[in-house]
Amino acid sequence: MSAVNIWEKMLNVDRRWIFLGIGIVSIVPFLIGFGMPITTTTEVEGIFNYMNELGPDDAIFIGFDFAPGTQAENMPMAVAVMRHAFHNHTSVFMTAYVPLGKGMAVSALDYVTNPKTDGYYERVLFEDWADYREAGITKKDELTAAWESDGNVLSEGAVGWVFEGRDYVLLGYLPLFHLVILGMTGSIETQFPVDYHGNSIGEMPILMEHKSLRDVDLAVTTSGSSACVAWITYAREKIGLPIAFGVTGVMATDYFPYIQSGQIVGQMGGLRGAAEYEVLLKENGITETTDKAFTGMDVQSASHIFIILLIVMGNIAFFAGGFHKQTRLKGRR
Amino acid sequence: MKRTVPLMIVMVGGILMMLQYFIPHQYSQVIFNNYLEWAPIVGAFALILGVGSLTRLHTHKIRRKAKNWQYSWAVLIPLFGMPLFGLIIPQSLGGGSDVHGVHDFLFMHIQVPIQSTMFSLLAFYIASAAFRAFRAKSALATILLLAAVIVMLGQVPIGDVFGRWLPNTGLWILRYPNLAAKRAIMLGVGFGMLATNLKIIFGVERNWLGGAGK
Repeated sequence: MSAVNIWEKMLNVDRRWIFLGIGIVSIVPFLIGFGMPITTTTEVEGIFNYMNELGPDDAIFIGFDFAPGTQAENMPMAVAVMRHAFHNHTSVFMTAYVPLGKGMAVSALDYVTNPKTDGYYERVLFEDWADYREAGITKKDELTAAWESDGNVLSEGAVGWVFEGRDYVLLGYLPLFHLVILGMTGSIETQFPVDYHGNSIGEMPILMEHKSLRDVDLAVTTSGSSACVAWITYAREKIGLPIAFGVTGVMATDYFPYIQSGQIVGQMGGLRGAAEYEVLLKENGITETTDKAFTGMDVQSASHIFIILLIVMGNIAFFAGGFHKQTRLKGRR
Repeated sequence: MKRTVPLMIVMVGGILMMLQYFIPHQYSQVIFNNYLEWAPIVGAFALILGVGSLTRLHTHKIRRKAKNWQYSWAVLIPLFGMPLFGLIIPQSLGGGSDVHGVHDFLFMHIQVPIQSTMFSLLAFYIASAAFRAFRAKSALATILLLAAVIVMLGQVPIGDVFGRWLPNTGLWILRYPNLAAKRAIMLGVGFGMLATNLKIIFGVERNWLGGAGK
């Protein structure tokens, strides 16, 4: 077999071998778990620091503006921001720009309040604390004290209570969501008279304290499409609402101009961005452990190295085989 | 008449909304609020039109036993099945969007895995495409290739093994050359959108009318 044939064979390698390689480098790091350290960037620190300044009197929006296809990247971002808000007792409004985003919001909330999750929050449904509302107890510290004085005890592993209607509300999806954003600049209640579960928004303390987007301190849009730009166009530019992006890795490059212009406070780009936020949460004592994004970075390290090796091998074969002198290659290359 | 009326509606509506944005008067706000109420209603009719059109197309395919007509069932059954479980069948019978509802089950155990799998397949095809297409054939191709390798390595923790210069260089590429290129593209697209919108508002561009514009 001549040398040229070896290079030609290499260039024409059956793509199923490449698929097998990607499969292996995607699975093995999950089993081994290298846990390589991650350094944080100013883009993610910008969001973290902004969030860290917020307290019980403040509120944020988390936009679940993605479909299940990109949940591997977007979901950890939303979960990390939600944990941060719950830790600081900052109220959270959850919306969805796309129909399937509503299901993603439900999943994120279920995850953060699931007893199987490390450092979970114990959820109190809206109807379960109706008596306290009627008694005028709606401030977070007073509510928690009254709730616990009535014999309610945090389960083992739980790090705090979250009251539906006070600490969070799941608003869900509405069609033509860019118009909904515009409408919410005037009144949230006119756009969402009831929440996802059919509870009246007007009775919720979260809404009494934050009636429109003008009373909200930050909107974090986690997005797998250009939906995130709608928050800039219709909320940031109209009323000056601070915006933060959590976007997929391939989209992250598109939105650097918004960071430089100061239109967004920061950006989490892909799984890396989510992992950085998890690292910041851990370093600042907000969570005890990192989460899924951090674990996933080992897989990304391995697969990126594998792809780069493929590129290098492909170029070696291309030049060593003299194919760069040919105008057209044979076969599938 | 068939085209003059739509053209007039677009022109009046377009100019009105354009001016409204710059006028902070209460009458201007009333127009805006009316628009906010009207637009979702118009959108709902568009939805009915879309669902109707899709249903007609696929029922026609099934009736005619056209090529791959079996797949049309895969469109029609979920198209009507999901709303049925979500809106009509009560939660107690497995409908609604409760955690234990059938609607939620179908979403979590069919839709989510299907979409996640489709997106995950990209990794396999990207690897194969990178091997076959990423060649340093010219100076520009070599620059592209090097930039891609640096950014790829800089984005993952293993990049730090080669030294901090690698992630820093990757970030520099993203923050400066990438930003400049993206901004130029965005400006170009923005001006293009502005020009197209003006052409539509003033009736120069009439393709949106379909056959009626000719």
